[in-house]
Parts: sequence; structure tokens; C-alpha cells
Amino acid sequence: MEFIIEGFRKALHIILSGNPEVLSIARLSLTVSLAATALAVLAGVPLGSWIAVKKFPLKKLVIAMVNTGMGLPPVVAGLVVMLFLARSGPLGFLNWLYTPKGMIIAQFIIALPIITALSISAMQNVDPKFYNQILALGASDRQAVWVCLKEIRLTMVAAVIAGFGRLVAEVGAVMIVGGNIRHQTRMLTTATVMETQMGNFDMAIAIGLVLLALGFAVNLALTLIQQNKVLAR
Amino acid sequence: MIKLSGLRLAFDTGFLLAVDSLKVRAGEVFAIIGPNGAGKTTLLNAMAMLVRPAAGNLEIMGQDALAAANKLPLRRAMAAVFSQPYLINDTVFNNVALPLRLRGRMDAAAVREALELFRIAHLSERNGRTLSQGESHRAALARAFVTRPKLLLLDEPFASLDERVKESVIQDLRKVIKLSGAAVVLVTQDQAGALTLADTLAVLVGGRILQQGQPQEIFSRPVCKEVADFVGVETILPGRVSANSENLCSVEAGGHTLMAVSGCAAGDSVFFCLRPEDISVSLNADAGGRRNNFKARVAGVAPWGLQYKVELDCGFTAQAAVTKQLVDGLGLKPGAEVYASFKATAAHLIKRNL
Repeated sequence: MEFIIEGFRKALHIILSGNPEVLSIARLSLTVSLAATALAVLAGVPLGSWIAVKKFPLKKLVIAMVNTGMGLPPVVAGLVVMLFLARSGPLGFLNWLYTPKGMIIAQFIIALPIITALSISAMQNVDPKFYNQILALGASDRQAVWVCLKEIRLTMVAAVIAGFGRLVAEVGAVMIVGGNIRHQTRMLTTATVMETQMGNFDMAIAIGLVLLALGFAVNLALTLIQQNKVLAR
Repeated sequence: MIKLSGLRLAFDTGFLLAVDSLKVRAGEVFAIIGPNGAGKTTLLNAMAMLVRPAAGNLEIMGQDALAAANKLPLRRAMAAVFSQPYLINDTVFNNVALPLRLRGRMDAAAVREALELFRIAHLSERNGRTLSQGESHRAALARAFVTRPKLLLLDEPFASLDERVKESVIQDLRKVIKLSGAAVVLVTQDQAGALTLADTLAVLVGGRILQQGQPQEIFSRPVCKEVADFVGVETILPGRVSANSENLCSVEAGGHTLMAVSGCAAGDSVFFCLRPEDISVSLNADAGGRRNNFKARVAGVAPWGLQYKVELDCGFTAQAAVTKQLVDGLGLKPGAEVYASFKATAAHLIKRNL
């Protein structure tokens, strides 16, 4: 019991003293996960909207595959990305293995199905009559989708929150693709694993707390955006 | 303005919409009425280019709308309003501005003008979702009118409004339609609304247009039993024309000889049709020159809108519309003995195929 309390005491000290290493790890974690989330939103929202709105063969199969992708194990995503980025792999020439860029790719692949699947279901939830009404007011398909996305912005921000939450907490993919290299690819999650294994519980607790705080800060910001201009009920 | 022919639209459920010919001119208000599930909305959606017919021709403003490679310019010449206003989650102003923004030609003055036309300028900064039903319908109409569409498609635009609000919205809409000169297609179950607004009426039943023409003509001279049923002809008696003397027909129906003005020939099998408002009920035998006069027994009295509907047993069953004053004055109640009379010109004969 004592070592837990002691761990927390030291952890607080590490945080409050502004340990430069913890700060730089936090910065990298935030950068990688935010970048991956942003890329997944840029690709996943249009993709999901398109799948939701268009009629095409095997649509249900495609949606089932995207939904399965939501549960993609990060270690599998990491393994695949590593194989591609490995020196002898098809994308080896990029030299992105064990770099933040590689980790962003891996996390993008984890977030893409989440953002896409949630976009599909949110768009499919839009009353087709509402969509038709927007078309009947002179919107092109693309404009109609945009109007609908603005209508369902609450759900869309929730999708972003879900995607970012998954990424910032994820450890398997960044461990494999990044390699947990100090000052280069060490993330809050990989650092926590490492410090715990090494028995540095105070450091592990400190990094864990920073991870929680970071997740809370980003979600708070997103929630404020989401709840802005929401009608009181 | 809009012309369609040979239109066919089939559904998985086996329902088939088949409209052989329909034409709406600029400045004309064309109302399509019919019961639930008759295909009215589908027909309107086809005109709005929201569903694609399986076969047929659709011409909008002289252009083949089905063959057009880019449908957007045609869709942008029209606007549609549905039974639900479907406002976006934004201010009334931004709602009404939406069609202009979609076309990349925002014009605040045009938005204000549309708001004023439908008397909702004072609501312009309110969120569209906080409006009352009447207000949100006005917003939906203003939004449709803001681009000055050449063709306006209205699908049950008053369905969810209460009578008083509906009346005022219809009056404003009529004013604006006359002002704009747009061609209007109005789909509705509301016969009073259709009568107030329409220049031309079409009755759609079971996916087919059974009759189209001037509203008064359709209401008083339906061409078949289905149309008669739908437009409020309550007394429909099968019978047979026994003689025709200069278009005054004697019809054997319901155990009586009834007189009707019609071109039907002796020997024709017909339906003898009477609207409830054309039957007079009185206590004395003097029919005041009406050719049909029968002793009747009141079988039932029930409220019907602002009037009462009296079911009369004259050997055949007839439904008469009667004011409350008359119900009280004559003491109409089940069992009462009265006289029912109607003019031969008020009766209408529909030929029936045996």
C-alpha cells in the first residue's frame, strides 16, 4: 500500500517540477494522435458520407467491413504498417519506420474505420426526406452532404472524440512502428509500459496521470465545441 | 413549364404509378388530390427529379429532364416544400438564405423580402427549430420562394397546420403565387385547400390519374365512382336509365324513379350521384320546383364540420348536409318523418360497366 502512496507523491513532484522529458513525451503523444485523428477525419468523413448516401453493389458488405475495422487490434495495424515500412518492405524507401510519421500512419489506420463507421451511421440517421428537401432547394449532392454534416455536427464531434480517445490510449501500434526510442518515438503509453516493467512506479504513475490529463483536456475542448450553440432542452 | 407523359414507376411492393399525360403551364396552379397511398408524393418527387421513373418522358422548361447530363440547373429552377418544413438547425434568416447560398448568389435583400412576403421578418434571428408549426411552415415557404423559382412543388404543405393557421398561410401563399407567376404543383388531401388554390385539379387514385380538369367540374361531375367517392359525393346509387327526354333522364334506382339532367341514353346502367349539400330537407311536401321529392325517415344525425349530416331513408339511403339551425328548427332526430328533395341538375350520372 505504502509504495502506491509514495508513487503518487513522487509522481506529483515530477509533474509539478515540469520534468522536461515527460513534457516532451506528452508533446509527441499529442502531436502524433492529433495528426492521425485529423487525417482520419479528412478521409473518413467524406468516405463515410459517400458510403452512406450512394447506392452501390455490396454496400452492406462494405459497411460490415468498416464496422469490423472499428475493432481492429492496434498491434495488428502496427504489424502491417511495420511490414510495409520495413527497409525491405514496399514502402521501405520512405525510411519512416521508427519515426513519428510511421506512428501517425499506423494510428491513422486505426482511427479511419472508427471515423468512417460513425460517419456512415450518423449520415444514415439523417431523415432521407430532409436530404431530399435540401436537394430540392437546389443543392448539389456534395452541398447536400455538407448541409447534413452541419446538421449532425454533435454526432460528428462525438466521432472525433471517440477516434482521438482510442488513439491517445493506444499502445500496441506505436510500440511496434515507433519502437519506443527515447527522445524520438517514445509516447506516453509506451513510456508507461516501459517504466512499469522497469519498476519505476513513480514515473509510470506520473506519465499515466499526464496521459489522463491530456485526454481530458482535448475532450474538454472538443466538448465545448460540440456543445456550443446547442439548443437548451 | 412541366410536361410528362407515359410515366411509369414501379415499386417492390407491386405498386405502380402510371401517369399517361400531365401538363402544367406557367402561372398555373395544378393540384393533385387523392387518398393516402395513391402515389401523389411519388409523382411529385419524380417531378422534383428526386426519383427516376422506370419509363416515360419528363420535360421541364422545354428540356428533357431525364436525359439531361447535368440535372442541377433544372433542379435550381424549381423549389419544393414538403409536409414537414425540414428547417436546418440555424436562424430563420440563414434558413431562408440557404438556397441562395447553395447557388453562390447570396442576397440579403432578397432574403428579407421573402421573410416579409410570408410575414416572418420579426423572427429572422430566431432558431428555426424554436418556431411554432405555422411559423416554420411560413419559413419553409419563404425559403422555397427566395430564389423566385419558375416551378414550385408543394407536397401537403399544410397537412400539419390547424384550420385557422392553415387558412392564413393559404391566403398568403395564394397572393405570392399570383405575384410570382410561377407554375405550381400542389399535392394534397385537403380538398378545401385544393379548391382555394387550384386552377386545375387532377384526382390520383391507385397510381392513376382518373380525372383532371377544373375543380368545380370534378367536384360536381366526377367521371367514375372512385373520384365521386373521393370528392365527397356521399349518395351513390346503382340504377338504370329508363328514358331520356331532351337530356332529362328518368333513372330507376333505389326503388324510385329519380330525375337527373344528363346525356345518358335509355338503357344505360349508371350510378346516380348526389352531393350532401344538394339535398334539401323540409317538413312539408312542397318541393319548391325541385323535380325529385321523396318522403323520408331520418335514420341518423351526426355533426359534420360546422354542419350536421343527416342520414335519410327514402327507400334508398341518402346523406344530406344540414345547418344546425335547421336540425333544431325541424326537430330532426332519428325516426322523424321529413321530405327530401333535390334538383335534377344537381344529380349527376356516371355510366357504369356491368
